[in-house]
Amino acid sequence: MTPLDVATWIVRLAGAYAAAGLLFALLFLFVLRGVDRIDPSARAGSRGFRWIVLPGVAALWPLLLRRWLAGASEPPEESNAHRRAAAGGRG
Amino acid sequence: MSHGYQAVGWSPFKKRYDLVLGGLLAGYLALFSLATLLLRPEITAETLLIRAFGTAALLLLHAVLAIGPLARLDGRFLPLLYNRRHLGVTMFLAALVHGALATFQFHALGDAPPLVSLLASNTRLDSLSQFPFQQLGLAALLILFLMAATSHDFWLAQLTAPVWKALHMGVYLAYALIVAHVALGALQDERSPLLAGALGAGVVAIAGLHLAAGRREAALDRERRAAGADGFVEVCGVDEIAEGRARVVTLGGERVAVFRYEGRLSALSNVCRHQNGPLGEGRIVDGCVTCPWHGYQYLPASGASPPPFSERVPTFRVRVVDRRVFVDPRPLPAGTPVAPAVVSESGGGG
Repeated sequence: MTPLDVATWIVRLAGAYAAAGLLFALLFLFVLRGVDRIDPSARAGSRGFRWIVLPGVAALWPLLLRRWLAGASEPPEESNAHRRAAAGGRG
Repeated sequence: MSHGYQAVGWSPFKKRYDLVLGGLLAGYLALFSLATLLLRPEITAETLLIRAFGTAALLLLHAVLAIGPLARLDGRFLPLLYNRRHLGVTMFLAALVHGALATFQFHALGDAPPLVSLLASNTRLDSLSQFPFQQLGLAALLILFLMAATSHDFWLAQLTAPVWKALHMGVYLAYALIVAHVALGALQDERSPLLAGALGAGVVAIAGLHLAAGRREAALDRERRAAGADGFVEVCGVDEIAEGRARVVTLGGERVAVFRYEGRLSALSNVCRHQNGPLGEGRIVDGCVTCPWHGYQYLPASGASPPPFSERVPTFRVRVVDRRVFVDPRPLPAGTPVAPAVVSESGGGG
C-alpha cells in the first residue's frame, strides 16, 4: 500500500464519519430533538444554541447516540475525590 | 447555569471583550499586511494571508495559554479569564483560515484531492529541513476544532467538568505540534532570526508562567493536617479568614473552601460545577458563594445553587473552638445542608 493509498483511506473514513455525524446532528438537534430528552436545559434552549453545538455533535455523535439510546434524561454527574467519598457513605 | 441554553450568554462585559478582541485582531492583520508589503513587495496575496492568519493564531494561542497562570498569580488578570472561550474560538478560526488557505495554495491544483495530497505528498520523516510539517499543523487544527466545538456549556454538562477539562488540556499538545509546525516549516526558509527569537521567547514565557503558577498550587496541596480523635482537622484561626472570603485547604484528596460570612463559617468543596473553577478564590455576593471564573453561585450552608439553578457541590461540617477552625474532612453528598459554625466576634468560639 502506498502513502497515497493510506491517505486516501484515511480521508474517506474521516469523510464518512463526518457525514454520518452531520446527519445525526441534524436529526438529534432539529428533527427528532433527542437533545431535549437527554438534557432538560436544551428544551428551553434557543435555536442559536442548537446551531452553535452542531459541529461538536457531528464530531462526538457516538457519545450522544449512546446516551440517547440508553434513555438518559439528565446530564451525567461529575466525579471528583469529594463526590466519590460522599457517594461511598460516611460513618 | 441549568436553565435554557443560549448560543452565547451575552453580558455587557462579554460584548466589550469581543469588541476589543475583534479590533485587536483586525488591527494586527492590517499592520502585519502593511509591514510585509513594505518589506517584501513581491509577496503574493495568498502567501500574505497565510502568514498573517498563521501568526495571528500563534499570538492568540500564546495569550490563551498565558491567561490561566497569570490569573492564578495575580487576581487582576481574572477578567481576561472570564471570556477565554471566545479568545480560544477566535484563535481556532484564525488557524482554520490559515490552514484552509495553505491547503488550497499548496494542494488544490494536483491530481489527488487536497487533503489526500496534504497527507501523502511528503513522507520525509527522516529529514529536519524537509520534514512534513503540514501534517503537524493539521493534527493541531483537529485538536483545536474539538476544543472550539465543545466550548459551549452543553458540552460541559454532557462530558462533566473533569472530562471536559481533560479534553481541553489537549491545547498543550496542540501548542507543541504548532511550535514544531512553525520550527520545521516557516523557520526553515526564514533568514531573519526575528521569528525564531519570538517563538523561543514565547515558549520560554509560557513554560515559565506555568512553572511559577504550578509551584504555588503545589505548595498548597502539600500541606498535611492531622485529624483529631473526632476526625475534625484544624484548618486555621477564625481571624485568618476575611469577611466574605474563604481559606482554602486540601482535605480528602481535594480542596475545601471555608467561607466566613455574617458571623458564621461554612465549608464547601472548592470545585465549581462549571469548569471546576476555584470557589475558594471567590467571595460571598448577595449571600452566595460566587465563583470567580464565571459567577456560578452556591448557598454557603448547603452547597446548592439558589433556584431556579440546580448545581450542587459537597459540603463539610465545621466547628470553632477557641477561635480555631476545625473541618470534618469527610465530605457530605452534594447539596447537603450543614449548620454553619457560629463565630463570636468578641472572642471565644461558637
